Amino acid sequence: MSLSDVWSYEFMRYAILSAMILGPLCALLGVFVTLRGMAFFSDALAHSAIAGVALGFLMEEKFGLQMDPMLVVLAFSLLLAGAMAWLSRNGTLAPDTVIAFSFTGCVAFGVIVISMLGNYRLLDGILFGSIYANGPQDLLRQGTLALVAGGFLISQMRSYTLMTLSPELAHAQRVKSAILHYLFALLVAATVVVCLKMLGALLLSALIVIPAAAAKLLSGNFRTLLVTSMIVGLFAPLLGVWTSIQLDLPSGPAIVMCNVLVLLCCYMIRPFASRLALS
Amino acid sequence: MIAVSPLPHTELEDGRGALVKLDAVGVRYGSQWALRGIDLTIREGDRLALIGPNGAGKSTLLKSLLGMVPLTEGSVHLSQPPPTIGYVPQRLHFDASFPISVEEFMAVAAPGSSGWFGGVPASKKPMIMASLEQVDAAILARKKLGALSGGELQRVLIAAALLQNPRLLILDEPASSIDRRGAASLQTLLLSLHRECGLTLVFVSHDLHWVSHLASRVACLNGTLCGLGSPEEMLSEHHLEETYGDSFYPKAGSFGLDRRAV
Repeated sequence: MSLSDVWSYEFMRYAILSAMILGPLCALLGVFVTLRGMAFFSDALAHSAIAGVALGFLMEEKFGLQMDPMLVVLAFSLLLAGAMAWLSRNGTLAPDTVIAFSFTGCVAFGVIVISMLGNYRLLDGILFGSIYANGPQDLLRQGTLALVAGGFLISQMRSYTLMTLSPELAHAQRVKSAILHYLFALLVAATVVVCLKMLGALLLSALIVIPAAAAKLLSGNFRTLLVTSMIVGLFAPLLGVWTSIQLDLPSGPAIVMCNVLVLLCCYMIRPFASRLALS
Repeated sequence: MIAVSPLPHTELEDGRGALVKLDAVGVRYGSQWALRGIDLTIREGDRLALIGPNGAGKSTLLKSLLGMVPLTEGSVHLSQPPPTIGYVPQRLHFDASFPISVEEFMAVAAPGSSGWFGGVPASKKPMIMASLEQVDAAILARKKLGALSGGELQRVLIAAALLQNPRLLILDEPASSIDRRGAASLQTLLLSLHRECGLTLVFVSHDLHWVSHLASRVACLNGTLCGLGSPEEMLSEHHLEETYGDSFYPKAGSFGLDRRAV
């Protein structure tokens, strides 16, 4: 199928645009997620979204409450992210312990509810997603998220970098670390929810973690890391969509495999990175 | 109660002004008092060392000076206009593979907005290079922060603190992760900054030999302030035993208070 053929289908146009919007955003977010050691947090939030989806269907089936499922998932994930961030910061348990029991608990709750409702096809959709299911409404949400989240991250880049390097130094410089910590958790939660349709709960964190990890292998300074990560974040999902169309593969796994492929390539060319003037 | 208020201009007996005054400062974590009843005046031009065993409240005292911990009781008064305070943390808590160069770190640490996408803005470059030159670390500007040795990192952290143009420089165990030669070189650097820039220094150290060469006054902490005076007085066996307990070792005589370097 040629590029013009692909572009002629509306659902494929939406898929490509969606990859172009969300890929770089997740990659930018991923730089701070990985540097702040929050990769497990983003993965857990993606998995926990299963409970949010189940909750939305439970409210509809049992109580007749008709709500946009995306809004229910968003509200649930924001609450969960806030609670996990609060417990990690103020509780007596280690952050990874808090994340582990929150996410396994949420997944268990979600699967029980979905099995009670007997809607196993829904589970499949949540777990693997499909970028081809995007419509104009989804693109609008994704564009809004990209503007708000991207703009916020870029405007607060100095504070987040300082917090990553030394929370004490950030505090001494009057950076509002506590508020920014919670806002970052909410930002990750919102991004995860909006990306759920693209990759599904099982694969989503690859979109956040892999571009930053690949870029880190090639970068000698922070600016190169950010730019390379966003370039990987833009092209790997596009390559994934293209591969999925050409080889008739499911979109989510194809996107993830292309990301992994890019990561492996970066690993292999790492010794030559300085000669390529990337460092 | 937290109280950080202006300090009326007070000229002390030696003619120097008071920069910061702590009145009956106490900090409690949960039910445990980390510090209690601290009355201490930091004078313009001081080189004040805070010594004491682990858990004595040294770092808590530094944090209370910086407003990083809420005071449970007492108050901190700052001279007017409030002195700019530079802070040098003990270490950076980051993944050493984080690809950030020294000059990018300096740009982030400098007041004002950082460069577009983590870069170094042209307006900040001269001040960053001047700061690095001041600590003899200009050659490190393009090096990765994670690739620096302990001594190099301390110099860069001091350069970053100097970007604030401070009157008071607070250092948390600056010599703890460097070898003896590096510690001696850091001491020379701090003394020259004190002399040439008129910086007031407050620092925590476990190396009493280092303290004896750098400090003009020593505060002994053990939950409370159990001694304040010249290094000769405070590093005496009597005071050290009072601060550290009977198990203190080595004995005070082994510091050989050779202050010719000061």
